[in-house]
Amino acid sequence: MTNSWKVKLAVCLTVLFSAVAMSANCNQTTASQADKDLWNTHGCWQEFFLWQYQAYDMRGSDWGSRGWNDACNVNKEYPKHWNASYLLTYGLQDNWQFSFHGTVDYRGTAERWDNQFHDDLYHTATDDTSIFGSFSTHFFGPNEVKTSCLLYDPNLATNANPGSRAGDFNHEGWHGWMDKYNWDNGSCGGHRCGTPGNCTAKDACDYFYFHGIGAYAFGAMWENNGTASRFHSPNQVQVEFLCDVADYPQSWVPNSVRLAAKSDANTRASTRFINGPGYFCGDPRPW
Amino acid sequence: MNWQCTLVACLITAACFAQQEKEPPRSSEPAIAARPSEQDKARAAVKAPALNVSEQEAAKAAVAFLDWAGASTAGQREEIRRMLEQASQYKAVAAAFCDEANRTAESDFTRSLLALSVLGEMRSPVGTNCFQKFLHRPLPEKGIVANGENVEQTKLAMLQAKAVDGLAYLRTAATDREVLWAVGKHPSRIVRAEAIEAYLWNHKDSKEARTTLLKYVQPKERVFVDRVRRDPAEEATVFNRKLTAFLKAHPEAVAPAPKRIEQKGEAAKPPKEDEPPVR
Repeated sequence: MTNSWKVKLAVCLTVLFSAVAMSANCNQTTASQADKDLWNTHGCWQEFFLWQYQAYDMRGSDWGSRGWNDACNVNKEYPKHWNASYLLTYGLQDNWQFSFHGTVDYRGTAERWDNQFHDDLYHTATDDTSIFGSFSTHFFGPNEVKTSCLLYDPNLATNANPGSRAGDFNHEGWHGWMDKYNWDNGSCGGHRCGTPGNCTAKDACDYFYFHGIGAYAFGAMWENNGTASRFHSPNQVQVEFLCDVADYPQSWVPNSVRLAAKSDANTRASTRFINGPGYFCGDPRPW
Repeated sequence: MNWQCTLVACLITAACFAQQEKEPPRSSEPAIAARPSEQDKARAAVKAPALNVSEQEAAKAAVAFLDWAGASTAGQREEIRRMLEQASQYKAVAAAFCDEANRTAESDFTRSLLALSVLGEMRSPVGTNCFQKFLHRPLPEKGIVANGENVEQTKLAMLQAKAVDGLAYLRTAATDREVLWAVGKHPSRIVRAEAIEAYLWNHKDSKEARTTLLKYVQPKERVFVDRVRRDPAEEATVFNRKLTAFLKAHPEAVAPAPKRIEQKGEAAKPPKEDEPPVR
């Protein structure tokens, strides 16, 4: 065999190996009640997912074994991904007197296109359960937002619900914002290392840059003035999104989705901020 | 010639992948013609399952109610509160909600959270025992660790936080004692933080409640007693005033200025001190 053929063969074997490695190990036989309740509000709206996969730059080669060809099966990962996008795209009231930010901000952060929030990005999934999600820059092509099995399998973690998943799209997307504008948020996966100050989540700590309601016009969340008075961290964007889902959703958003979003927001606000806690969303009445 | 066959197989696989790359997602299910918004009214009109049932039917009724309540909408919140208040004496149903919360605690956090919420809102005496048992379950020591967080510990702690909400909402001396225990002694920050908030809110944020809390709260967590609550009914001006007061009282809560990524090769800055660095 000549050297050039050996090289070609090696390339092909790499492709094959990648194909094997891409087979999903995540449990795709069940969905959380919150996922099912939200799903039933659209009953698998095909027009939406045919838009969504483009808006999030999702590819069959990444999602093939994760429900790409079974897009109406809520137990699978890809359908759960677009279910969360559906909440993010339509589920907020956008009331400027009450909401922290508007849909335009959260969509701008989560979706693929190069904009004021980040450079181009695409969404993939991973079976790696040592992370909830990650943001990676690529020298060639768009940057990558990965979401882990922990956001899809309800047996594993609390985050396997549409609000938390969409919250993670915003969290990872905000790392894209940090990257676009050259901000240094820490060297532990884009967060501060250890458990400094009031943060208890090791190597996942951020500052909370407190701001009032109405401080940002809808669409202006990307803005900053170089000081702590007008800035956001990834965990903060996530908390504010979850608060907006819990407290100011559209009237059709299911209560199971709101309850889970509120619980995630308040947990995150209590544990992930060096200068925390962040705001407490809603009141502690049980229902 | 085996390598040539392998090569052909590889090329076919690669071609399939390239094709798949371009293929949109699909489903074998028939497309739904109606827009989701056209179905909102019909969904909101679904009647709640009855809770006034015999003991034998309680488990089934509780499951049906939870299915309905989870899918119920934000607009139905007050209606559900009224229904649960009227059902406070249905002990068998309350016990069935507790069972469902326990049954799904591992497999579906959202369902378990829903069951605890409904039980808490009922203010049933059955809730006291159920929430106490939940609250005192030991946190798992082993489990998946993601981004510095033991996800199984977090799962139980988040449910325990909801159990604390239920205990605080019962507003009895005994349940308040449990809440105050959680404020100071619960091993999870998630539960301690929720207990502080729940105690304050159920005591109308009174000065007395703050004084009591400060006796129990861990020294490093005193700031949680002053935490800003985003009350959904509150207008921006009210919230912003509260936030300004909080930051004035807690200047340590103001974050430092964000930092730019340092450029490689940039000259190091000279120290401001006159003294040489400590060796």
